Amino acid sequence: MWLCELITGNRKTYGMNLIGGVRRDITSEQKPKILEVVGKIESQLKEIIDAILGDTTLHLRLKDVGVLTKDAARQFCPVGPTVRGSGIAIDSRVNHPYAAYSEIAPQVITQSDGDIWARTIVRLLETLESINMVRRAMREMPGGGIMADVQEIPPGQEGISYIEAPRGECMHYVITGPDNRPYRWRVRAPSYMNLQSVPAMLMGYSIADAPIIIGSIDPCFSCTERLEVVDTRTNKARIYTQKELLALSKR
Amino acid sequence: MLLSKLKEALICFKNLRVTLPYPFQPAPPPPGFRGRVEVDINKCIGCGACAVACPPKLIDIKDLDSKRILEFQLGRCTYCARCAEVCPTVAIAMTPDFELATDNKADLNISVELTMVKCEHCGEAFTTQRIMNKLATEVSKELGMEPADMKWLHLCPECRTASEVEKMMEAES
Repeated sequence: MWLCELITGNRKTYGMNLIGGVRRDITSEQKPKILEVVGKIESQLKEIIDAILGDTTLHLRLKDVGVLTKDAARQFCPVGPTVRGSGIAIDSRVNHPYAAYSEIAPQVITQSDGDIWARTIVRLLETLESINMVRRAMREMPGGGIMADVQEIPPGQEGISYIEAPRGECMHYVITGPDNRPYRWRVRAPSYMNLQSVPAMLMGYSIADAPIIIGSIDPCFSCTERLEVVDTRTNKARIYTQKELLALSKR
Repeated sequence: MLLSKLKEALICFKNLRVTLPYPFQPAPPPPGFRGRVEVDINKCIGCGACAVACPPKLIDIKDLDSKRILEFQLGRCTYCARCAEVCPTVAIAMTPDFELATDNKADLNISVELTMVKCEHCGEAFTTQRIMNKLATEVSKELGMEPADMKWLHLCPECRTASEVEKMMEAES
């Protein structure tokens, strides 16, 4: 997060992407710092992988628990490490290369067992692969402009994009509105797809297995928690209750 | 198995505590950090470019008879710094300040009050005194005109159009 703060100016809300490019370039002073931090993460990660792989307690707890078979994975269409742990090599960066991923394509990591252990291994090895990609990007990234000259964005246009997030394929859909602002914007985060496969994973296991099975898809519930609505005419803000949200969603 | 446990213990012991002793010790953010928005009320000309650029639309511009009031409701700020990027007079800056917790959102609000100038023809307030000054000095230089010759500057857009049309009609007849 300190590295993100250094590169973008904030730890979480990076605010880097604009239509047409990015707002900040990586400076020559930042490059060695990035490589240093990445190197440290790599050495620590290797120690952790080494320790985890030989930990038989984890083997006993995670192997053959929460199995999502290849066929079930095809039926429920989960994404990211959840589907790759079931032996299906799907990765938006390879299947539909966007940005510069055609030049630094990742090696798609899969495990065939479909249990929690397989998903854990996929995540661990993917972190190593990501570190390799950061190194390649730092080495091969050309200099030059970071922003295209975009003036007016016509209203009423539609855009849809799929990108590979750490949890899997993430979809954004937008309808442009007047004044260079979006009219509608819809995000389908990877957890939405992954959660569909959880019932199949839970089937036949004990209640004590449920927390680690749900945890193994690394779900993100925070987006659904609450919503603040601001009335721009009166400048009054209020929070919808669960009841109201349910009523709205059923309308 | 024991070997793995020892390895895991070693990893933990090697790094000991990685968290900072904040807040007992300050933790300054790196340069380029986008923290609390600061508005230099002496530089702001009230053009409203920030209000157009602001994604959460937290900058409200109200034109009262002789005053233009810009209200920044910073409780809704996302710290994207688009306002600072588009400000023509660099009146908006992002400070390294991030300790903004408050029990009253209004504590974060900023209000800028600017004097408006009235149209010499119809008497309607149409722009701020500072925009007028900027136009008179900088634009006149660019156009190569004397501010004294730029009579149209003191007319509101409607009266300006009307006077131009009048001139054209006169020239035609």
